[in-house]
Amino acid sequence: MENVRSSTLPKKYHDAVVRWGQTFLPDYQLLMDNWEKYFPHDKRHELCAYRQMGMCSEIECGDLKGKPKFDRASQMTPQLADHLLKAVKAQASTELGSIQQHQLTLARAPEEVDQFWVLRMMAEELRHGYQMFHVLLEDDWKSVSDVKGEDMVEEILQMRTGSHVLGAFNIDFDSFVDNIVFCAFIDRVGKYQLAMQKVSAYKPMAESMPPMLQEEAFHLATGVVPMRRWIQSAAKDEGYVSMDHLQKAVNKWYPRGLDMFGDERGGGSNVRMGLKPMNNAQAAAEYTDEMRQLLGDLNLRYLRARFPKLSRDEAQERLKRILEKGETVEGIGPENLLKLPHVSFFRRRGIYAYQMLDIEGKPVATVADLKKHLSSVLPEAYATARDMTKFYELMGKVVAGEVKAEDAVHVLPNLSRVGGVCPCSRAVRWVIDEPAKSNGH
Amino acid sequence: MAKAKNAGSKAPKAKDGEVTLRPVSELDIEPVCAIDEKLSGKDRPGEWERRISYYIRRDPELSLVAVEGSRVVGFMLGEVRAGEFGLEEPSGWIEVLGVDPECQGRSVGKRLLEGLLAGFKARGCKAVRTLVNDIGQKELLGFFEAGGFKPTPIRTLERRS
Repeated sequence: MENVRSSTLPKKYHDAVVRWGQTFLPDYQLLMDNWEKYFPHDKRHELCAYRQMGMCSEIECGDLKGKPKFDRASQMTPQLADHLLKAVKAQASTELGSIQQHQLTLARAPEEVDQFWVLRMMAEELRHGYQMFHVLLEDDWKSVSDVKGEDMVEEILQMRTGSHVLGAFNIDFDSFVDNIVFCAFIDRVGKYQLAMQKVSAYKPMAESMPPMLQEEAFHLATGVVPMRRWIQSAAKDEGYVSMDHLQKAVNKWYPRGLDMFGDERGGGSNVRMGLKPMNNAQAAAEYTDEMRQLLGDLNLRYLRARFPKLSRDEAQERLKRILEKGETVEGIGPENLLKLPHVSFFRRRGIYAYQMLDIEGKPVATVADLKKHLSSVLPEAYATARDMTKFYELMGKVVAGEVKAEDAVHVLPNLSRVGGVCPCSRAVRWVIDEPAKSNGH
Repeated sequence: MAKAKNAGSKAPKAKDGEVTLRPVSELDIEPVCAIDEKLSGKDRPGEWERRISYYIRRDPELSLVAVEGSRVVGFMLGEVRAGEFGLEEPSGWIEVLGVDPECQGRSVGKRLLEGLLAGFKARGCKAVRTLVNDIGQKELLGFFEAGGFKPTPIRTLERRS
């Protein structure tokens, strides 16, 4: 990376992240021991913060467009600092949260190469969390916020699956299919957030984004490439991952990806303040276009692998007949191919949150009917998980009028397993002050 | 000189008929397969999955695709290497390129070359290299010569078993 400055956190914070990594990313050393085998010629991973120098120094959108970017927190209004700190906290939480999720099923990878790609991605997510801590700790926020950077770092390090800021990071992975589909669907939302924050009016945040985006591009490939391979194996009735497995994982993660953009009616204040160039609805719409393209490409690959004599044009024509006209051709119908759920399906944030709608966006009469429907379209292990039990309870209250949908959006997913204590050492805090120096006695 | 748009959120929609450049992404695997299939007559998904993910891993902002509207009409993949074949200085290597036959003759290759050369320059490369086969790649040779490339004393040696 050219024109990039690297630095490390003060020792006690650096050590805290290393300790966190030893707990939640125990295979880090395995990755480093095998780096040259899987990633020959690539620069070895380092736990540090990178800042891209020479970026635009003027605010790029919103009411202050054209004014100089803020170098220091003290130059911002408390309102702007509050928005920014929330974004930094959410970003850091997602980076570390995904490591906790990936670790659950990492060892179940059918192929070693996929396992090492995911492992590298996890190490890079740790660096991204570190990067956000760097943004928090390098500045003094006390003139614009009651929140101390060091307290926020400790709070984020203590989060576990169930207590993270965004719903997608509070759901356990059930199989390695989740690792891969998560990379293709949820990391893609991450890419959007990073790309939008690249214009941030707060210069240290903007400068943090390009190196993170470079790494994020690999994370998306870590999801898409195995999906492409798996789908071609499934078409030939080979391999272990079926179209049904993939469709159910898509149904599980796409709604959470959409939720991550926030309420479709919101995001305008971030644009006005110069923190992001797009509102939530615009970004979510672009995301959906990309997901449609991905599934279209995957379906084309499926047909070409299943019917090798079809030319590309013939396969595309057949794809149209199957998906747009609903035809079954040589035994392949719409039910055999991947489909993106309706944007209103299974949502927990935004205008569609807690609506009684099925995967095509059609109304469902009762919670029992919805339960039956979701059980048939979600992965079995997930459909029977505690997250779903709580979802149905809440859905029942929304339908009965006991809880408003706009209040329900703040409740789930929120598992009981909440952090606060290091699971291995029983230490109370991750960030530990260094012991006072001995006076010689 | 053409400059690639940044990765991340989608590049602004191009005007009708306008060709723009952007960094290659994992979603370009299938469009690149399609161009390669038109050029080579072969469908090689595994090859492009491997190659494109390699370039994304190495430097995702360097290798480029040319886009007309939302359609990928060309690609040029390369990387910076140093210390190989006794060439210590970091050099840019152009390794593979393709332009949709329907769009050839519209300077798409030239735009891609300019974009990639700008990327190499930004990364401190003073030399950019590629390999062209004298036999059967006359057109490609002409393309690079028109772009300012000249033969060098470095020779490719080969031994076949």
